[in-house]
Amino acid sequence: MFNIDFNGEFAAFSILSAVMIIGAVFMVSLQKVVHMVISMAAVFLGLAGMFVLLDAEFVAFVQVLIYAGAVSILMIFGIMMTNHQNKQADPVKPLHETLSAIAALCLFGMLFYAIRTTDFPDAQPLEGVQNNTFSIGELLYTGYVVPFELLSVLLTVAFIGAIAIAKKGED
Amino acid sequence: MGAWLHDSMTWGNAVIIFLWSAVFLLVVLGFVTYAIYFERKVIGWMQLRIGPNRVGPLGLLQTVADIFKLLIKEDTIPRKADRFLFVLAPILCYVPAFAVLAVIPYSEKLYFADLNVGLLYYAALSGISTLAIVLGGWASNNKYALLGGMRSAAQMISYEVPLVISVVGVIMLSSSLNLKDIVAAQSGGWFWDWNFIPQIIGFVIFMIAAVSELNRTPFDLPEAESELVAGYHVEYSGFRFAFFMLSEYVYVYAIAALTTVLFLGGWHAPAPFLDFVPGILWFVLKFAFIVFFLFWIRASFPRIRVDQLMGLGWKVLLPVSLLNVFLTAGYLELFVK
Repeated sequence: MFNIDFNGEFAAFSILSAVMIIGAVFMVSLQKVVHMVISMAAVFLGLAGMFVLLDAEFVAFVQVLIYAGAVSILMIFGIMMTNHQNKQADPVKPLHETLSAIAALCLFGMLFYAIRTTDFPDAQPLEGVQNNTFSIGELLYTGYVVPFELLSVLLTVAFIGAIAIAKKGED
Repeated sequence: MGAWLHDSMTWGNAVIIFLWSAVFLLVVLGFVTYAIYFERKVIGWMQLRIGPNRVGPLGLLQTVADIFKLLIKEDTIPRKADRFLFVLAPILCYVPAFAVLAVIPYSEKLYFADLNVGLLYYAALSGISTLAIVLGGWASNNKYALLGGMRSAAQMISYEVPLVISVVGVIMLSSSLNLKDIVAAQSGGWFWDWNFIPQIIGFVIFMIAAVSELNRTPFDLPEAESELVAGYHVEYSGFRFAFFMLSEYVYVYAIAALTTVLFLGGWHAPAPFLDFVPGILWFVLKFAFIVFFLFWIRASFPRIRVDQLMGLGWKVLLPVSLLNVFLTAGYLELFVK
């Protein structure tokens, strides 16, 4: 079940997973909203590191550019624009928390067991694996051009909608 | 040099890579020290002053003395500041500033990481520094620092968009995101083969957006001293302040090197008969010119108003940079294919 060889990749994977898990736990448990955003940015960066480990540099740096950079800054901006009083923490319900913990552990156990016992077929190496940025671009503009264009239209509609809603609030 | 990264990682290789990084760090720190001296001298001369001339011969040790003073100053953290973020912000600011330097090629042989998405790597990591500036401003718990941080977030996000779109033309011409390949695509022998003439619109937008990304005059609103005392780093002193200043000047280095690579042909000579001069010297000359240009702009322009800033970014630079992409695509489709 634990067929792991200890090399540099495994070390990097462990460090990145630790960063992501700790970031995620802090995201849920910290008190101040700005601290939560920072721990979420740590998760985003850890995820980007995972993509680098998988030789997907393009996805990795787009992840950093969009999520760790733009989305985090946008959230912090939103937080600063609004006023936040530190709320009193809800009273702890021991039974509720224990049941949640058991449920979470069961879910983890099931997922872990399923992943470890699944037999993943060896992925066929894509052509042009050396330059997967090129392959992504080529696929987007040949095989997947219709979904790609539809998504751009959807994003434009959402963008214009956001402006329209913001303008309405101004009047 | 970058070829070592492809060898298997032995202890010997690790030591070599570590030593080269240390050498490079010293080169960058040396650049920062003398860029500050040079900036003060050049602006002094342009304003008919002498500039620093007391410490050492010709004032050459002035910056060294300034840095020493910063390092031995008392390290203060305001009582009501958010301690954790206050400490984290300078670190988060200078780590990406140094990390982006890894992908810049200086000559055919002299480069560090030969990354196939080098340009994207630069754009992505430099965004993290913006996050650090906002956090620094917020953690200080000071209204001037917060205003400076907010202005900086708005400005840097607005100008990052035209900055990235203005280089799309260059990417299309060289059909690569790798900075080494982009330089290689400009090897025609003459200076008109460099990207700054075919991509003149992109080049102008890139320079304007770059000055804005660097928070330098005429776009230095985040630290407009007449309105905001000093902006996001009001509460910082000692070595934390030094780290903010350090990353600012490391970005000057990075932008100057990136402009050289993207638009000024990297290590290529301007004419075929000048090929005997080593490429690294051409790189340094172009690099030094861009750095001087940044100082020149600072001494020449007044600061623009905050309401003009967003208008310029979104209503002028963004449409023009999109037009540049469109024109480049049309040119490639009609004349090259």
